[in-house]
Amino acid sequence: MKLLILLFLPLFAGLLLLITRKYRFSGYLAPASALISLVVTLMVISGVPSGNVSVDWMQVPGVRFNLQLDEISKIMLLLTGLLYPFILLSSWGREQTNQASLQALLLFSQSALTGVFLAGNAFLFYVCWELALLPVFFILLLWGGPGRRSITLKFFIYTLAGSLFLLFGIIYLYLQTPGLHSADFAAMAQLQLPEKTQQWLFWILFIGLAVKMPLFPFHTWQPPAYTTAPPQGTMVLAGIMSKMGIYGVFRLLFLVLPQGVLFWQNTVIILGLTGVVYASVIAFRQNNLKTLIAFSSLAHISLMVAALFAANTYAVQGVLFQVVAHGITIVALFYLVMLTEEKAGTSELSGMGGLKISAPRLALLFMLVMLGGIALPLTSGFIGEFLMITGIFKVSVWFALAGGLTLVLGAVYMLYAYQRAFLGPLNPAPEHKGDIISRDQWWLIPLVILILVLGIWPQPVLNLVLTIPELLRPLPLP
Amino acid sequence: MSALIITVVLGIVVLYLGFLNKKAILSPVAVAGLLVVLWFTSGEWNSGAAYFHDMVVFDNFSVAFNISMIILTILIFLFGMDYYRTMEFHVSEHYALMIFALTGAFLMTSFSNFIMLFLGIEILSIPLYILAGGKKYSYRSNEASFKYFMLGSFATTIFLFGIALIYGTTASFYLPEIEQYVAGCNGELHPMLMIGLLFVLIGVAFKIAAAPFHFWSPDVYEGAPTLVTVFMSTVAKTAGIAAFYRLLGMGLLPLPVPLERALWVMTGLTLLVGNMGALRQTSFKRLLAYSSIAHSGFIMLAMLSQHDNSASTLLYYTFVYSLAVIPVFIIFILVKRASNGLEQLSAFNGLFREKPWIAAAFVILMASLAGIPPTSGFLAKFQVFVLSIGQGYLFISLFAIVMAIVGVYYYFMVIREAYTESEFAKPIVLNQLNAALILICTLGVLILGIFYRAIII
Repeated sequence: MKLLILLFLPLFAGLLLLITRKYRFSGYLAPASALISLVVTLMVISGVPSGNVSVDWMQVPGVRFNLQLDEISKIMLLLTGLLYPFILLSSWGREQTNQASLQALLLFSQSALTGVFLAGNAFLFYVCWELALLPVFFILLLWGGPGRRSITLKFFIYTLAGSLFLLFGIIYLYLQTPGLHSADFAAMAQLQLPEKTQQWLFWILFIGLAVKMPLFPFHTWQPPAYTTAPPQGTMVLAGIMSKMGIYGVFRLLFLVLPQGVLFWQNTVIILGLTGVVYASVIAFRQNNLKTLIAFSSLAHISLMVAALFAANTYAVQGVLFQVVAHGITIVALFYLVMLTEEKAGTSELSGMGGLKISAPRLALLFMLVMLGGIALPLTSGFIGEFLMITGIFKVSVWFALAGGLTLVLGAVYMLYAYQRAFLGPLNPAPEHKGDIISRDQWWLIPLVILILVLGIWPQPVLNLVLTIPELLRPLPLP
Repeated sequence: MSALIITVVLGIVVLYLGFLNKKAILSPVAVAGLLVVLWFTSGEWNSGAAYFHDMVVFDNFSVAFNISMIILTILIFLFGMDYYRTMEFHVSEHYALMIFALTGAFLMTSFSNFIMLFLGIEILSIPLYILAGGKKYSYRSNEASFKYFMLGSFATTIFLFGIALIYGTTASFYLPEIEQYVAGCNGELHPMLMIGLLFVLIGVAFKIAAAPFHFWSPDVYEGAPTLVTVFMSTVAKTAGIAAFYRLLGMGLLPLPVPLERALWVMTGLTLLVGNMGALRQTSFKRLLAYSSIAHSGFIMLAMLSQHDNSASTLLYYTFVYSLAVIPVFIIFILVKRASNGLEQLSAFNGLFREKPWIAAAFVILMASLAGIPPTSGFLAKFQVFVLSIGQGYLFISLFAIVMAIVGVYYYFMVIREAYTESEFAKPIVLNQLNAALILICTLGVLILGIFYRAIII
């Protein structure tokens, strides 16, 4: 029942919002729904029995509507439940055209994403996977910045192309299951495909997942899409949708194609590390603050993929911790970028400068969140990256060295950007609009507190991922 | 059988109703008649009967396809109420010709003899040749009609020649007897029979616009009156596909190797031409024509992956495809009127601001054509891929997937146009019947996609 609430509440709230958008109370609908979802999520995660849902769905054998909850799902649910209230609140009271529709679309995407993370059946998983894309397509198309028409279509086609490869892989796996076929993940995990098959099928599935993350070299849609999207769209894309790919790697690769994973392990790690260095270097040269953060997100995700394929206990637990930590940080960062752009009247770093003088509170919050982003000790980013790099170290020292570059390069480009935007003399050109208003401040402070608390006391989240090695039994984690 | 007769009588009745000079009653009468036909047809379910010395067999396969075509025709006629309201000429012959074409379509789903297939194809095609030229004073419409007629007769000739060659080898028109003959050959077919079979398949491939026999379709779709385009891309296409499958399923499977190769090449080409052709189109009707070719490619993929489920997959695919195409054309007509007859993709500009709910329905319908879940178009493609991957055709399936991606591109290009800010020249006038039709079809597309029950035929 609780799982069904998680899945359908946002959907119905969104529909209700669309119908009642003319009334005053509709403004409260979206945040209220997100808050209820958060409470239910926390209940589900803390072990309140949530019951299983499993009904026959279609007359296609093995296609069932079943929801399952394991530790990996829990982490992803935590991420979704935690971030959506902030994403929705960040648009609260802003001057955006047709805000009710924007919030409804955001709620639809929440519903679909929850479906992805809860699905126990590959068919349901795929349906939700693609459904999550549609609201974002419209968010980008209708509320995006300049050049949105072509960028939106590119983003959509690129990610959908990935999805269709995923579909091919899923159908192939489905047809390999014995008897009348079953699309349940549990049945797929029982398959022991020949090694050759695992090796080629790995790439079909992995391309589909890698486009979504995105991983170098499948990332070219990402920086323009993140830059053009409205802030809320970017938050969903960077905070949660990028983690869908990582979730998919667990579900479809680690559990179903363990030998494929081991065979291509080093290749993917090298791709990930290349992405780290590549994205960091490019981020350094960016003049647009939002694009810069987009590349920094690319670098972080790349590191997470590299660590994931290091495939040992440290790394995998680190990745799952970092999923949550990075989600919180990146949403807070994009929130702050939105505020910075509002206050400075431009998104170009060259047009900013000295914002600390006109907006000291914004500067302070930005500094705190940024420190989380560059993984300073005592912030949540540090815990995740520490575990991940330890894991990579166990594979190879050289890999670990390259991975460690994220920390160094991240500090370089982030501090440099901060310096250009907030420090120095006040740039006289733009009309400065003062400091942030208290509403935004109140939404941001919880995020900052979360970043700090998880950095000092990460145990609640780490407890969730303790049993991961057991869960990933097909792939023995060293 | 009674359904067939009633349909013919209905056609004649509607034709003579034209003398009353009351346009408003034509469509209701035709719809009422078709409902009766629907009733009789559904009565034939599970009571397969053969007529005319087994030349026509109404088995479950044909009954299922006939029901689907009758429902589609009813939807088209309801759409016709509004479409023909403003036309000045007599429209009774349009309705009558469509009903006659439907009779041909019935024969195409139920033949067991080459002569009946030939008759069916001709009874379907000749009304369509006339209908394509329905706008007497339009240059494009006349061109469409002429082109369709010329190429269509050419295809018919090849088809007839193929039948003659087959008869020359096997001394029979009956599919079961030909099947026996082919089975008796142990794989060593007489070249004449092989060529004959190839010609027959070419004749049918022309009807479903499979590449390389597709050249007529974009021009005809563009030039013909929109309602006729809808009829061609739904009912006529369904009939062609049913005939193609029946031909393969009743007599020719498993195909001789050279023929099978030819058909695979045809499938790949159809997918390629349809999707790549649609990419560069600026006219909406041409785009849908190419997309219709592309869908033929997916359908052929299902047809060639022989499995027990092939027939029901085909039924489902053609029905949900048609169910999405009809309202898409209705919406197109509405925006075309509102933008002073513009047929380009940009005619849709501003639909989102003007009629948000219609725009939302349009998104669902286009998503269904593109195969995005949870619409029925996705489920149809899913089943096609389950069939083709299940039969081990991995490479052509991967190719089809790549082509499906291309398909998504052009469908969403149109959606993007609908969500582009702009003003219409005139406000969109949407009457209640059309609104209801769009709603029903959109809900149908969604519900069939979410709650799917297979019909075993």
